[in-house]
Amino acid sequence: MSKTKTMPTLDLGARPRRVSRRALLSSVPALGGLLLTGCSRDTFVPPMVRGGLIGIADVLTMSTNRLLLSGQPLAREYQPSDIAPDFPTWGQTNPRDEKYQRLLRAGFADWRLPVSGLVERPLSLSLDDIKRLPSRTQITAHVCEQGWSAIAQWTGAPLLQVLNAAGGVTSGARYVVLDTVDGWYEGIDMFEVVHPQTILAYRMNGDDLPIGNGAPLRLRLERQCGYKNLKFLKSIQVVDSMADFGKGTGGINSDWGFHWYAGV
Amino acid sequence: MRNAERAEAQTCVTGREDSVVTSERSRAGTKEWIARHSYNVRICHWINVIACGYLLVSGIHIFLDFPELYWGHTGYQGYPAIFKLSDWGISWDDAGAMGNRMWGRNYHFTFAWVFLINGLMYVGWNMVTGQFRDRMLPRRDELTLVNLRADLRDHLRWLARKRTSTTSYGTLQKTSYLLLIFVFVPLLTLTGLAQSPGFTAAMPALLDMFGGRQSARSLHTIGTVLLVLFVVVHVLEVLAAGAFNRVRSMITGKHPLPEEGL
Repeated sequence: MSKTKTMPTLDLGARPRRVSRRALLSSVPALGGLLLTGCSRDTFVPPMVRGGLIGIADVLTMSTNRLLLSGQPLAREYQPSDIAPDFPTWGQTNPRDEKYQRLLRAGFADWRLPVSGLVERPLSLSLDDIKRLPSRTQITAHVCEQGWSAIAQWTGAPLLQVLNAAGGVTSGARYVVLDTVDGWYEGIDMFEVVHPQTILAYRMNGDDLPIGNGAPLRLRLERQCGYKNLKFLKSIQVVDSMADFGKGTGGINSDWGFHWYAGV
Repeated sequence: MRNAERAEAQTCVTGREDSVVTSERSRAGTKEWIARHSYNVRICHWINVIACGYLLVSGIHIFLDFPELYWGHTGYQGYPAIFKLSDWGISWDDAGAMGNRMWGRNYHFTFAWVFLINGLMYVGWNMVTGQFRDRMLPRRDELTLVNLRADLRDHLRWLARKRTSTTSYGTLQKTSYLLLIFVFVPLLTLTGLAQSPGFTAAMPALLDMFGGRQSARSLHTIGTVLLVLFVVVHVLEVLAAGAFNRVRSMITGKHPLPEEGL
């Protein structure tokens, strides 16, 4: 007898009176993606399409990926024995930001994550607040755009749960923008936001998230390359457009010339 | 001996005369021309040259950003590798300094699409027009051991020029093209997709098919080296068969028939 694999559903305390994205967000996360984004352009096209052949290829890659992922499958999850003995730390490994260093010395007791923008109740979460939210633990491969990959176990609160703690998103919400203490930012679209493996991780391999891996909180976006998995999160805002951030491409990496959609 | 070979070659050509598509008198003179390559083959061939050129250079670019190969699901600096460029005297920093990886990634994935769409167009077109069946599928009598051995021997002895027909492909040529198009290129494409976190989430079988993401990356690299070798041999064959006529026929489609039968 074979068991049918089903997507883990998240209990989000549905509020059926509102027929809005928020209602969809909070009631059908497992079907999420296409229902939520429906015929939305955001699911298939980056916030800003580049010119020329490269731009056409960007759209082809993203829309092909999203069509194939329309059932919102999980990225491969591995066994504890697959966990890398010495997971690489890459890029920023210890932000020199003074405020960050002060928070670090205090064990992040005073650290806060503001959740603002197009949410019902903007709020500021402490690390303990986030740890009290329903959590998800996953053993996944970090796929760096350089070519290396390493497996680790991550525990964190699904991004959807964090938004839900702020009462859910209001109408017009299209992207969730994450800022980091070292000045990075990335916008991610609702298709990724509703995915169960999209978590804000505070534990790695059973311990508190190490500094080199983004303490106290980092994004795990398992179906996209490493550079979208921001470390050292500082704040979250829900927006209706990426135009006002950086060069308007939707993230710091795409401002520099990388693909905004990093599924390849 | 030489005469015998010549005679044999002669029959080879006449034996293939049924696959002559059209032939016409050149307006310029007495030279007889044959339509060697269809529009489809010519257009797709040159788009393919451009796409593969970009894929190779951008692929090297991406590889240099992490010039190490691993086997299995895991691979990072410090993990047991199967190949390291640093073992060959080029440090990771030196390799990485050869360019920024956005360039490589942008062009690799752009020309992967050009390559794929062009390839599908080529295959579809040739299926519909029956060119694969008529020109690429080796006939049963060509697939005899004797014939294959003779074909191989001629290639090794650099006699390809004398033996290859202007009107059709040789048996080894047909076989290698078919293997390239229907086995090798699909594998190279799949090993590429098996490195993508998006595609592997949608199709986890890609990960198992090659034994892991890093295995796929290694096979993708090894496959690229083999493909480059194929192109080297391909170009040498063209040189051996008469570069000017062969390249012209891939542009204009027309190839002059040899003056005296061969």
